[in-house]
Amino acid sequence: MAQDTRASAPPPKAKTPFSWRQPLALIGALSETRYWAYLLLLPSLLLVSAVIIYPVLSGINLSFNQFNLLRIAQGMNFIGLQHYIELFEDPDFQIILKNTATWVIFGALSQFTLGLIAALALHRKNLKGGAIARVLMLLPWVIPSVVAGHMWALLLDSRLGVINDILVRLGVLSAYRAWFADPATAMPAVLLVDLWRGFPFFTLLLYAGLSSVPEELYEAAEVDGANPLQKFRAITIPMITPVVVAAIILRVISLMNSPDLMIVLTNGGPGLATYTLSLYAFQIAYDNFNFGAAAAVSVIMLVILMVFTVIYLRVSGVTKD
Amino acid sequence: MRRILTSHKAIQRLYDAVAYVIIAGLLVFVLGPLMWMGLTSLKREQDVVTADLQYIPLHPTLENYVTLWNRSGVTTMFRNSAVTTGLTVSFCLLAGTFAAYSISRYRFRGRGGLLTFYLLVRMFPVVLMLLPLYIMLRSIGLIDSLFGLALTYTTFLLPTSLLMLKGFFDAVPPDLEDAARIDGSTRIGALFRVVLPLARSGIAATGVLIAVSAWNEFLFALMLTTSESSRTWPVVLQLMVGEFQLPWGLLAAGGMISILPIIVFFSFAQRALVRGLLVGAVKG
Repeated sequence: MAQDTRASAPPPKAKTPFSWRQPLALIGALSETRYWAYLLLLPSLLLVSAVIIYPVLSGINLSFNQFNLLRIAQGMNFIGLQHYIELFEDPDFQIILKNTATWVIFGALSQFTLGLIAALALHRKNLKGGAIARVLMLLPWVIPSVVAGHMWALLLDSRLGVINDILVRLGVLSAYRAWFADPATAMPAVLLVDLWRGFPFFTLLLYAGLSSVPEELYEAAEVDGANPLQKFRAITIPMITPVVVAAIILRVISLMNSPDLMIVLTNGGPGLATYTLSLYAFQIAYDNFNFGAAAAVSVIMLVILMVFTVIYLRVSGVTKD
Repeated sequence: MRRILTSHKAIQRLYDAVAYVIIAGLLVFVLGPLMWMGLTSLKREQDVVTADLQYIPLHPTLENYVTLWNRSGVTTMFRNSAVTTGLTVSFCLLAGTFAAYSISRYRFRGRGGLLTFYLLVRMFPVVLMLLPLYIMLRSIGLIDSLFGLALTYTTFLLPTSLLMLKGFFDAVPPDLEDAARIDGSTRIGALFRVVLPLARSGIAATGVLIAVSAWNEFLFALMLTTSESSRTWPVVLQLMVGEFQLPWGLLAAGGMISILPIIVFFSFAQRALVRGLLVGAVKG
């Protein structure tokens, strides 16, 4: 195919300095043609199509079929929307949808808030140790979710947990609590772990966003006699809105899609208290081997995310290039 | 006038104090758990599972690290993680650099659509494609192989790295390239001799981000590998839980070992990483 492209292309404009090395010269000549832009895109597009597009399309197809790995002899049977109908008639599914909303909304909001507070504090100039604090603050974000999960499981353990010990010593609690086993505290406890893991991501992006606001704007506002709150509202917020929107979208996507922490910490329990859509899809697929139903749950997740992103981009008024 | 200035200064000092308090509080929140994990990794098992909580290990020992390292297969899996990460970084940077350069420099039909498409790709739920991916990789013999795993990671990390790299390439003035081309360089020659050297810190930052994500990845690694010979590090940590009755000391030691390379990586490229992520996120 590359041969054809070159044959139909206009001859190279400049003589290449590599002309004594044939293959390199060919690539050099090719890079002068108008097909070059597309040729550069080709490797990544091929990879993404092969490893993502095909699996996604066949996953969507799967959601309309009966397919169970344990009954593989029965093969795939088209059943239309039956998986979807069964899901929406299942009372458990309502609870799982509600849990997912709690998980994503509280997760994103708490992490954004703490991230913003951290970014504003770190952004003050001339703080001693600011640079090292910025690096240390990012650590939770770069460690594996499995490690973070086990670490917090130990911290919050009902018998050995240091957090229980501290709270009892301070007199906040009268006895140790089983945070992950109590339906009332399980979801808040997992949210706390994800707050620890997730807020540095917001700090990172918001700090960078704050740093990119031109200093002259603040100086001009100061000349006009604006107080810090007015400056924050009139300059900082509009200037960092694109970063905020991008960060929230990325975070919502990963909150929605990754069941890692639940797998490590609670497995959805107690009862259904920490079941989210991603964990549900994962468990239907790998505990019950009911891949058709799992695919249907995943498609619902995908639709929710797409609707959220479109609406959020519209509402926030951030236009993309 | 003077009074206004001094009160202004006092307010600034007050803000600074508030900032210090917030930062100190957050550092306790961030580092406390990590320190506890570090301390736990130095305790004997009987000192972890005890009614009297030991804040400082009474019998500090490296026993957990030694036990972990001597367990069969652990070094293999550490190496597996390293190989998978290395392959993923090379694939991503190779394919990503070309594509990002094209999107940064050319205005072709479908360019906006392509960017939206890459954002969309990030949204696909992992579970949705796991089974088809599993079947596909098995049919071409790439299941339970580090190469197959790296290939999978590459496609997931490619959109992010592409958007980051595009930001860095945007920042390199096209004039420099034009100058090189007037001197007789081809486009690809200019890419390698002008653009890449100028964007190298950005490329390094992208590489670090890819490395960290690949090193930490858990779900795909759990599902797409089946034998000890291709298991990666996070999977090992999770499977240890099923094997023993929560070996806290070992888990803590494993956690410490797995975050060390990340901290080393990260401290190298922290500055460029921050800039790159911002560029990638905003322009994405």
